[in-house]
Parts: sequence; C-alpha cells; structure tokens
Amino acid sequence: MKLEFTVASAFVNLFIVLILSPLFDGLTRKVRALIQSRVGPPPLQSYYDILKLMGKEDLKSTINPLFRLSPYMSVVSIAMASLLIPIGSLTPPLNFWGDIFLFIYVITVVGIAIIITASASENPFAYIGASRKMMLHLSVEPILAIALITGAINAGSFKIGDIVKWYYTNGPNVSMVLATVCVFFSLQALIGKIPFDISEAEQELAEGVLIELSGPKYACVKWTNMSRQVLFCLVFTQIFIPWPFTDYFLINVIISLLKITVLLFISSLIEALNPRLRIDQALKYNLTLALFSLTSVFLALLRL
Amino acid sequence: MQNFLYPITEVAEKIEKFRENIIVYVEPHQIKETVKLLILQNIRFVHLTAIDFSDKKNKIELNYFFLLLKDKVNIVLKVYVDSLNPTISSISDIIPAAIWAERECNDLFGVKFEGHPDPRRLVLSDDWPEGMYPLRKDFKYNQKPPQEKKPFLLKKPKEGTTVIPIGPFYPSLEEPAYFRLIVEGEKIIDFDYRGFYVHRGIEKLAESALNYQQIPFLAERICGICGFVHSTCYCQAVEKAADIDIPQRAKFIRSMFLELERIHSHLLWIGLAAHIIGFDTLFMQTWRIREPVMYMCEIITGNRKTYGINIVGGVIIDVLPQHLRDLENIISDIEKEIKELREIILEDDTIQLRFKNVGILEYKEAEKYSVCGPVARASGIKTDMRVDFPYAAYPTLSLRVPTKKEGDIWARTLIRLDEILISIGILKEILTNIPEGSTSVKVSKIPSWKEAISYVEAPRGQLFHYILTGPDGKPYRWAVRAPSYQNYQCLSILLQGATIADAPLIIGSIDPCFSCTERYEILDIKNKTFRIYSLQELECLKAR
Repeated sequence: MKLEFTVASAFVNLFIVLILSPLFDGLTRKVRALIQSRVGPPPLQSYYDILKLMGKEDLKSTINPLFRLSPYMSVVSIAMASLLIPIGSLTPPLNFWGDIFLFIYVITVVGIAIIITASASENPFAYIGASRKMMLHLSVEPILAIALITGAINAGSFKIGDIVKWYYTNGPNVSMVLATVCVFFSLQALIGKIPFDISEAEQELAEGVLIELSGPKYACVKWTNMSRQVLFCLVFTQIFIPWPFTDYFLINVIISLLKITVLLFISSLIEALNPRLRIDQALKYNLTLALFSLTSVFLALLRL
Repeated sequence: MQNFLYPITEVAEKIEKFRENIIVYVEPHQIKETVKLLILQNIRFVHLTAIDFSDKKNKIELNYFFLLLKDKVNIVLKVYVDSLNPTISSISDIIPAAIWAERECNDLFGVKFEGHPDPRRLVLSDDWPEGMYPLRKDFKYNQKPPQEKKPFLLKKPKEGTTVIPIGPFYPSLEEPAYFRLIVEGEKIIDFDYRGFYVHRGIEKLAESALNYQQIPFLAERICGICGFVHSTCYCQAVEKAADIDIPQRAKFIRSMFLELERIHSHLLWIGLAAHIIGFDTLFMQTWRIREPVMYMCEIITGNRKTYGINIVGGVIIDVLPQHLRDLENIISDIEKEIKELREIILEDDTIQLRFKNVGILEYKEAEKYSVCGPVARASGIKTDMRVDFPYAAYPTLSLRVPTKKEGDIWARTLIRLDEILISIGILKEILTNIPEGSTSVKVSKIPSWKEAISYVEAPRGQLFHYILTGPDGKPYRWAVRAPSYQNYQCLSILLQGATIADAPLIIGSIDPCFSCTERYEILDIKNKTFRIYSLQELECLKAR
C-alpha cells in the first residue's frame, strides 16, 4: 500500500464526512421544506448555523469534565470512523489496522459521547433523552454489527477492505442480500432521524440530550449528527452496495457522492412523511429487524 | 313542574321556573343534600360562581349552574352565605368537576369551602396578599395591592421519582402553564398543575369600567383563537336578559362566523397534534389549508382574527353578495382538501400507532368531570349546544352530532375531522338561506336585575356566559366559563399511567386554550408591565 494513496484517500474521506456533511444536511432541509410547501433555508444554512454557534457563549451548566470533553470526542470519533470506509477505491485508507470490530467500536463511541454529555448535565430532560438514546443504540447497532459479521463470514476476513472486495467480485448471495435489506431498514434509526429521533424529540423532551449544550459544544454535537448521517449513508452505499466501481479514483468518489445524495433524499422523504414513534414502538421495530439479520449470519455460515 | 324536581322540593326553600331555567333557593347547610339528589337525575355540572351583595344585604350569593341534557333545562341553585364569614361545605367530593370552580370562588370572593380536597390558590398569583378578594364590590378595579412573597405549594415527588416540568416555557406548548409530571422512568405516576399566570380579571373590568356595548369587544379578546364565540355568547346573554329580538340576518352572520371559526380552530388543532408527534409535513399542510379561511374572514371583517363585529342587538357589518360568492368558492376548495387530508390521516398507520389507545377517557369519567365538546363526544356523551340549546341561526339549520365510544386521542381526531366537514355543510346551508334585511336593532335601555344564561358550542366545547344586569348601565355580574376550564380537570385522569412521550400529546388532545381558561392579561413586552385597557383605549378599539 502506497503512502500517497493512504494520505489522499484519508483526505477525501475526511472532506466528505466532515466538510461536506452540512451541505448534505442543507439539501435534506430544502427537500423537506419543498414537501411542506415552504421556501426553506438556503442550502448553505447548516454551515452558517455551525459557524454562528462556534462564536456563541459557552454556558457551563456543570463542572463535570466529562460534560466539557465528550462533545469534542464525538467529532474525533466520527473522523476516525470515516477513515475505515472505502470511497475512492475498494480499500479504505486505514485498511491495514482497522477491521469491522474497530469500526463498530468507534461508531459506538460517537453515541456514547453524546450519552455521557447528556448524563453529566444533570437535567431531567437530558437524563431521559440519554436513557432513550442508550436503548436505541443498544437495539439498532447490533443490526449493523450482525450485517458486517455476515460479510466477514462470507469473505473470510474481518477487514472491511476484504469484505468489500469479496462482495464486489462475487456479487450478492442470499445472506448478503438479507443483511443489506436489514441495514437499509435500520438506516433511519442509525442516523437518528424521524421516526427515530426519540432521544432528541423536540416536542416531548425539549431536544432531550442536547438541552444543556450551548455554543461550541452544541456546534460540535450538531456537526457530529450531520456527519453521522453522511457516514452511515456511506457505510450502506460503499460496503453493502459497492457497485458500480471504476479504476479511476475521482470517478469513484463522484459516484459515491451521487449514491449518498439519492440515499439522503429517500431518508428525508421518510422523515417528512412520518411521525415520531414512541420508544417502545421503536424498540419493537429494531428487535424484529435484529432477528431477521441474525438469520443472515446462519445463512452465511451455510455458505448461501 | 317536571318529575325530577319532586325530591328537591323537600330540601329547597323556593323553586321558580323562568324560561328554560329552574331556579332553586337552598339553605347553605342543605347544599350537599340537594346536590346528592340532583346527581341521581344525571345532571351535568356547568359552573359555580358568586355574586357579592355585601353592600345591599350583607350576603354573598352562590350560584351553582347545572344542566339536565335530556330535558334541556338549566338548574340554578342559589345559596346565600354571610359575607363576613362566608363558609359552605364543598361539593367537590360528590362532583369532582366543581374542584376548580370552588377554588376560583375561594380566590376571588373569599368563600371558604369546607372539606375541599385541594384548597390551594387557583387564579390569584402567589404574591397576592391574603384577605383581598378582587371580585368583591368593595375592591376597586384599578387598585394595586401590596406584594406578598410566598411560594406556591406544589406536590412533592416521592423517593425514587423525578419531576419532569412541562412549561411555563416549553417548545411544544407555547403557552404559560406549568404541568408538573412526577415520573418513574418513563411512566407518569402523579401530576400537578399551576396555571393562571396571565389572569387579567376581565370580569372585574367589565363589571366596573365598561358599559354593555363595550364589553363585546373585550369579550372577543378573551381568546386568541376562538374569540368570536365569547362575544356572541355575551351578546346573546344580554339580549336574552333584556328581551331583545335581533334580526334574522344578524343571526345568520353570527352562525357563519362561528362555523368559520370552528373550521380554522379544528384545522389548527390537527396541525398542532401532528407537530407534537413530529409530523411536520402534516402540520404545514393543514395550516396551508387553514389560510384561505382566515383570509376570507379578513376580507369580510377586516381582521383575520378578533373580528369585532358583535354588539348587543346584532352585528355591525353586512356581508356583501360578492363575499358570499368568494366564500362559496373557498369552502368548496377546502372541502376537497379536507377530504384528502382525512384520507391521508385515516390511512397513516404510524399516526394510528401514536393516537390509538392513548389518553383514554372512559364515559363514566367524562360524565364525572363534565367534560365538553369534542372530548366529551369522543367518549360517547352526545352533547352539542347547537342542538341542545339552539342559538343564532341553528334552529333553522340541520346538523348532526358525531360521537365515538373509544375516548382515545384517535377518536378525538376523527370527531374533529368530522366536525369540520359538518361545519362546511352548515356554511353551505347558510349561504343559500341567508335572509335579506337589516343586521342590527337599536338597543335602548337594558332593564336592571335581570339574569340570563347563554351557551355557545365553541370549537373546544360548551361555552357558558352568565349575566346579571346592573342598575347603572353595566352588568352587575358577568361570569364566563370557557370549555377548556372544564376539560383541563380531567387531565389528571388522562395522564395517570401514561408515558412522558405521550404527555404533550394528551395535554394537546383536549385542545387546551389557555387564554380562554385564564381570561388573560395583556402583557406589554417592551415595558415588562401589565396593562389594563383604559376606557378611551377601548373606545379606540371599538372605533377601529
């Protein structure tokens, strides 16, 4: 593996996941506005929001150091997770040391960081938001993990690059199709948008986990949420639908950008056309999906 | 005299019958017995209010208003208590619907109710001094009492439970009210309420500073959404008391605006309910459908809201033929859109997941708390003031009263959707049948010491106005009971055992109208001071 390739692809990944994510968020806001017969904000509004929040006063509701540090931790974890996804070619930038377990670990840290922030803030709304987020994470992330393990069993390797390569050359089999479908249906919960924005439910919990955040910390958490949206879309498009792939780095990047635009469009349609679920209803949905995805592991073990 | 009155004759001092009202005079110590006898007849509690006669006969008159739906009569229990030491035994343990009314009477008149389950303050603010009763006649309307700092007693959470405060500032309930949910995990185990943060004392102002023709404009400002019901109800009460017969055309115009108001109020509610469950697309689209209705009202009266067209004796504007044509086009447009909206809501499984079997109010509880409007109809109580006590043009119009048995939020939604379509039907009928003629009659002197009860079916339910005319060109007592006032009191039942996620939805499902309930105060945000309209300012408002 050449060093230049690692540096270039790492740069591209970080650019897409961190720098472009507010633009994608702006697009989803525009789509939502059009469905709701509104004019909507300009596409760059999410950048303005983050910049404005960065310059705002940082109110410290508690002296707990966890509360101060964890918002920044969530941005760093998102950046790390983005380096494990193949975008420009079939191998991710950090393929040599990152496998699916590291990936799952890192994306869990993103959620955990926000849960810690909320629990440290000593606000009853944040507490409830945190407990809801915990339940949601515990129920939805196994689905992604099981789907990745299905890929690993099929490919015979835990490295994400190897899984994608195997999937790209061998094409889908029954177990992978089932895993892909399960990930697709859990995508909205992974992203944390309506009907699954239960931990932040504005109307029920007054933004729940985010209620005590302000200034740069709030900007970081908002930015994390936007980046997470792009990251999970990339997980789905690059790992579970790796087609079409060309030999040219730049064209691959453009194709993947198009793919996540389509996916985000579908996701904002779902967001605009559905009400929020209650936590028990969401858990029921996720657990049913988890059972389905478990069958994909058995199918993979049977080489189907 | 009707059969049901026979048992009462034993306890009552005197029974009078006047139009559809039966007035029963009772001794203070007999009140509980009388109410117990009445409750066997399946009566509904409407309101309890007092009238201060301290300067005339050293008495405070308590008026208990009841309603007998099947015979369509009002029963008024009149009790005189001593104004120096006004005490009477509470009826709240027999009729829980009277809890708030008794607390309000205690606040404003100083009547002590013995054995009341919750004798805390309801209306008065926490810094109001003890022993000052604003609705007594010796209290001047512009008097400023000294402030007395005292914390309000709220229910304390038990060990292992947390308090979730909803309000007074809350993103999905943009109104000043404090719902204190005591929760265990996600489950609500106890509930407390503190409201009336913006009580203005509109009744006091009307009784002391305004005349009959100025009050409709004040009454219309009681509510920010359905103000027209208040001015109509007030005008009807005065017209009834003074035996004024208003022209048929004025009656039709009143009915027309009442129905337009119902349509836009129900659409507003559907939008808000969708917003509470996070379905913002439905919220935006419902409010888009609502907009032409507001626009039409603006074209006819000059205002989107608070039309200011009601006076005692009729209405002050006329509806031109081109308005009727425009209105016809608009309602046939929105009828189509509302039918589509109804299809969308009926076919949406996720909405039903959130609405069905949530916030159930059983028929028995609904009767006990005397809830009204769509909340009562969703629990199977067939009550609609347009049918029970027809007013304005309703005696000549045909309408049906939808009811459901489930009593959950889904039933309330369906009832409201149905009512919009019924309102559109009524509007169509009004448009074809509206008679020609004048729109108001000249009102000369209004006789003193006459009383009248008037009902209007507001979008939120049965609205009640009571008036006792006074000797000096203004009412001696004007009492208002908004529908939300009654519906609020069943919230403790609805919220018991619900989850936090459902709490805003349940509170929203009764369509609470805070300004109606509290008869609110005008807040001048710039100077951060409360302001009461002076006479000249009201004249200006009237002139506009």
